Formats: sequence, C-alpha cells, structure tokens
Amino acid sequence: MKTNHPGCITTSGLVTTALALVAIVVIGLLRGGVLFSPGALNAQVGGVTLRGVRSHAEINACGDCHTPPVGQSKMADRCVACHTDLTQDPHNFHNVMIAQGQDIGCHACHTDHNGAQASLTIAGMENFPHEAVGYSLKAHQKMADGALFVCADCHGNGVASFDPAICASCHADLDAAFTQSHTDTFGVVCLDCHDGLDSYGEVFDHNRVAFSLGGKHAPLGCDQCHLGARSISELAAAPQDCYACHAADDEHAGQFGTDCAQCHTTDGWEDATFDHSLAAFPLTGRHVTVACEDCHVNDVFAGTPQDCNACHAADDEHGGQFGTDCAQCHTTDSWEDASFDHSLAAFPLTGAHLEVTCAGCHTNGPSGMIFAGTPTACAACHAEPAYHTGLFDSECAACHTTTAWTPAEFDQAHLFPMNHGESGVSACRVCHSDTLQTYTCYGCHEHTAQNIASEHREEGITDFTDCTRCHPTGQEGD
Amino acid sequence: MRQSNRELWMAFIAVVIITLVYLFVTITLAGVPAASGFFGHSIGVLGFILMLMTETLYTIRKRSRRARWGKMSSWLDFHIFTGIVGPFMVLLHTSWKFNGLAGIALLLTIIIVASGFIGRYIYTAVPRTADGITLEADEIKQQILAIGAEMEKRGAPPNAAASKQVNRQIKQLVRQQQRLRRQLGSLATARRMLALWHAVHIPIGMVLFTSAFIHAGAAFYYATLLR
Repeated sequence: MKTNHPGCITTSGLVTTALALVAIVVIGLLRGGVLFSPGALNAQVGGVTLRGVRSHAEINACGDCHTPPVGQSKMADRCVACHTDLTQDPHNFHNVMIAQGQDIGCHACHTDHNGAQASLTIAGMENFPHEAVGYSLKAHQKMADGALFVCADCHGNGVASFDPAICASCHADLDAAFTQSHTDTFGVVCLDCHDGLDSYGEVFDHNRVAFSLGGKHAPLGCDQCHLGARSISELAAAPQDCYACHAADDEHAGQFGTDCAQCHTTDGWEDATFDHSLAAFPLTGRHVTVACEDCHVNDVFAGTPQDCNACHAADDEHGGQFGTDCAQCHTTDSWEDASFDHSLAAFPLTGAHLEVTCAGCHTNGPSGMIFAGTPTACAACHAEPAYHTGLFDSECAACHTTTAWTPAEFDQAHLFPMNHGESGVSACRVCHSDTLQTYTCYGCHEHTAQNIASEHREEGITDFTDCTRCHPTGQEGD
Repeated sequence: MRQSNRELWMAFIAVVIITLVYLFVTITLAGVPAASGFFGHSIGVLGFILMLMTETLYTIRKRSRRARWGKMSSWLDFHIFTGIVGPFMVLLHTSWKFNGLAGIALLLTIIIVASGFIGRYIYTAVPRTADGITLEADEIKQQILAIGAEMEKRGAPPNAAASKQVNRQIKQLVRQQQRLRRQLGSLATARRMLALWHAVHIPIGMVLFTSAFIHAGAAFYYATLLR
C-alpha cells in the first residue's frame, strides 16, 4: 500500500524518537550539560582557590561560565568574576591591552574543554593582538621547520615575562655567523630595533626609508653606515650626506663641495656626469668640445680662472689692445663673426665718422692694425683750415658736429653784431670772404669802395679802412 | 535485480576527493581542522544536509503517489551515494573527538551506514521491475508461466532440429525461468528479512537525526550565542 508520508514516520520510528528525546532530557536534568560538553575541562590545579575551585574541572554548572544568550553579561564577564587579579592590577598585561582598546574577549586566546591536561592558552593565537605589547608576531607564525609557534617558545617563564636572550639563541640556530656578527654590532636587545613587523635582514626594504639603497650601497652591511647604532632612533640618525661616509674618497680634495651625487651615482665613482652648466663657468659654443684638462691643468678644478685671457692670451690678435675681455666682441662659437660695438669704446662713432673705414683712423702697425691709443682729438685727423687758422685752436667741436663741417654753430663773442642791418645772421663769408681774421664791408648794400671813399672825404675823414672802429654796431648813426 | 555498483564507485571517488581536501586543509592549518572552525563547520553542515537528503528524498519518492519524478533505482543510487559521502564528511567534522551527544550521533551514524550496506543487499534479493517496483508472488508466477509458453513455442528443450539462434533463445529463457523460480522460493524469506531490517534501520535513523539536530542546536547555543 502506498502512503504519502516518508518511510521513517513509522510507529517504531516515532516511539524511538520520543524515547531518545526523553533520554536526552533526563540526562540533561541529572548531569547538566554533559551531553553537550565538547571535552573535559582543564583539571590543572592552580596556586590559588578562586570562588571555591582550584581548576575549571571542579566547576559543575555550565552556567557558571556560559551566560544566557539574552542579557548584557558575556562569558568574559564570568571569567573576570573569578580571575579578579586580571582587573585589579593596572599594570597587568591584560589590563594594558584593554587600556589600549584591545579588548577582544578572553576566548580569542583562552579556551577550555580540550581535555584535563590541555593548555588553556592554545586556541586563538592567531587572534592575539601581540602588537599591543609592542611586538608583532607577524613574522613569528611558523618556525623554520613549519611548526607553529606557541607562547612558551619565546616566553619560557610565562607569558608575562620575556628574556631577549631567547631571540639570539633561536636565531643562532638559523644562522650562527650572522647572529653573532649582528649582536656584536648592534647588541643583544633586539626589541630596541625590531618590532616584529620589520625585517632588517635580507628582506628589509631600505627603500621604504628616506635613504634608498641602490647600486654599490645595496650589498653593504648595516653597520658600515649605521655605526654603533643601538636603537631605531640611532639607526634613523645615520647621516645621509655623501661626505659623511665618503670624505676620504674625495679625489677632488673638496673642490666640488660635499654633494658627490651632483656628478656621481651609487653605481660607482667612475662614469661621473658633470653638468658644467651648473658650475660658475657654463660651457657653450666651442668650449663644449674642449677636453677637461685643457682648462683644468693637473686636475685642479676649483679656482680655474674664468677670464678669457687666462686661456686665450696667446690667441689675442689685437696684442692686448682691447684688454682681456674677449667676450666684449667675440662669442664662444668662433673668433670670427666678432661684433665690435664702437659706441662702447672711448670714441663712439657718430655722423660722418660712421662712414669712415677702420683704417681711416686706425693705422697699421708691425703686428696688425693699431687700435689702442688712437687719438680722439679732432686735430689728430683734421688739420685746421686756413680760413680760421690760429683762431680756435683745435676745438672743432665747439662749432662743428660730426654730421658735416658746415653749417657750423659760432656762439662766441663777435665784435660786430652778426644781425647787422637787422636782416638776420649772415653767413661768415659775407663779411669774412678770405679768412675770419679779415673782413670787409664793401660789396654789400651801397657800400662800394667808391661810395664809401667819397662819403668819408666829404666829411674830411681820411682814415676809413677799419669800418668798425667808427661803426661798431653797423647801425645808422654810429 | 541490481547489476551495477556505479553508485558505490561514485561515492568512493567523492570520498577520495574530500579526503584530499581534508588533508590539504590539515597541512595548511598545521593541525586537525577544529569542528568549530570554518572548514570543520562547513563539512559538518554539508555532510548533515547530505544525510538529511539520504533520509528524506528516497523515501518520499518511494512513498509518494504524486512525486513520480525519476526512476526508483536512480533515487536508490543517490540515496546510497549521499548515505556514504554525508556520514564521511560528518566523520571529518568531528576533529576526532567523540564527546557527549555529538559522539553518540556519530556512533549512530556509523551504525546506520553499516545497516544501510546490509539493507542494500537484502533489497536486491527482492525481485523488482526495471523501474524498481517490487513484484508480488503472483506476478512472478505469471512471468514463469509466460516464459514456459514462450519456451514451448520455440520447441524447448534445445534440440538438434532447431536453429542455433532459437536454441540460444531457449537457453536464455531457461535461465530466466530458473532465476525467477529461485526468487519465488526465497521471496517470503527476503521479504521477512527486509521488514526486519526496516524495523531496525528506521528507528536508529530517527534517533540519529534527533541527536544530530539537538547537537547542532546545542553547538549554536553554546558556541555562538554564549560567547
């Protein structure tokens, strides 16, 4: 006969189910939670009796430790209800953790029901915030052979104490030579430098700190730079300037200062790349291709003279006439294509002088054209004309400009008014036809020789050759 | 009549794979995976779900008039597969501790698996149709008679007059008839054995699941709610 219910719903099935439930309830009533205990409680007897028991195994009721799921009380509260010493001493390790916000509950590290002799501190090691005590266990999860670390491996005398000597004793097993050398150099108080997160050994990434290690710095031993360092702060205080370590290596004897990295890399002293443009004397033009030693004789770099003449004295085709600053006319591209600005010279060229060839003023000497000492006085080139010989010395510029000889400006005292006759200033040659030292009134207006002779004779004047003696202004009525 | 052990092979392969995973996790954790850890809990829960499927799916298919999906023999294969793999995962879940009710539940699990193996062989002694439906004695007798008629038609017993092909068919029919006669003879005994087996297997299973549910509930209560 077919039915719709599962085959297990039989009378015997239901009866045995009911019996099993009754049995579980009866055992529960008689023996508490024994049916649900995952294992025997720890039976190791402690030194003190806490609330009437000496070990967890002596606790009978599950509810002594296990709190009801409702309500604020947690199992950790039940722990400290007995283990009052944990909360009374503020220096207790557990209290320090809690003060640092590391209250993770007791069960993260402590568990029970693992057997009468099992440790109460075995589970949850991976959860224990060991950083809270200043040392991370990140690098101490497994030993070299793969076995998990347990507390006692480092805390031989209980978790509350730590002997730093244990570090060296373990690490000597791994690498005796290195450990010996390292402790000789940095001492045996490992925790002064190591916090468990770092590794200052082979895998330490020095690039994470301010001074990255590259090139030939990479294989150096720590103590070659961190001389005598015994703590993180002392390690960090290692000088970072090149000269702190390499003063003795300086083949330039300090000529380039103390920043070797300006030219050298950590790959080696050789293959230096000196950027001359950063120096006081940037190299341009044909200076770029000159060999270093051409200027820096005997590898002396500091104090190399920067004036042109220091190197180019022999090249001076001008025989020193223009001084030592070649750059006034020449560039570093070539000696040719010089551009001499005569306006910077003592005798700027203006007016008609601009049209004069160099040779017009500068004569040739035995070794080329002579520039220095070329006279600047007008008379050196310009002879005084017969027209005013002896009158104005050689001060041509008093009346003339370089634009042209005429017109000239005469603004000195003149015995006879130059606006004679009130018809404006007359040209010099109107009165001074031959030289400025002679004059004549004849030939102007009605002043013919015949007229003047007849008019003066009528007046009985016989000496009338010097007109201005009697006619100083040239006006009527003089 | 069951001819193949395919479901046992499948279960064996699954057990090997699960064992390899378990070993990998054990090596990774450098210790036996705790029952309360992620892996331990996972295999416990998955194994128990497989066991629940073992308990329910086959029997529902067998008893239900409406749910006729799939062949009975396939459901039995699945029942055997989950009935081996599920308990094996639960065994790994224990982390080799057998305390309290959890230990009792595991003991019952081992018993029920052993019982299941025995039941499987009693089951095969009962003749069934190709779809796994048990045949009644009358139906077997009918089949014997039908085969007899078929044999007569072919001129049994095998003789020199008949062709080789006919003689082969006659021999096949003779073997078929002999098996049915043997099953008819032992039918009553096989049925009694199967009924007896059911009477033991089902209550053990019920106690097992009762224990397992209470264990799961207690584990949740003590290990999760009481933290």
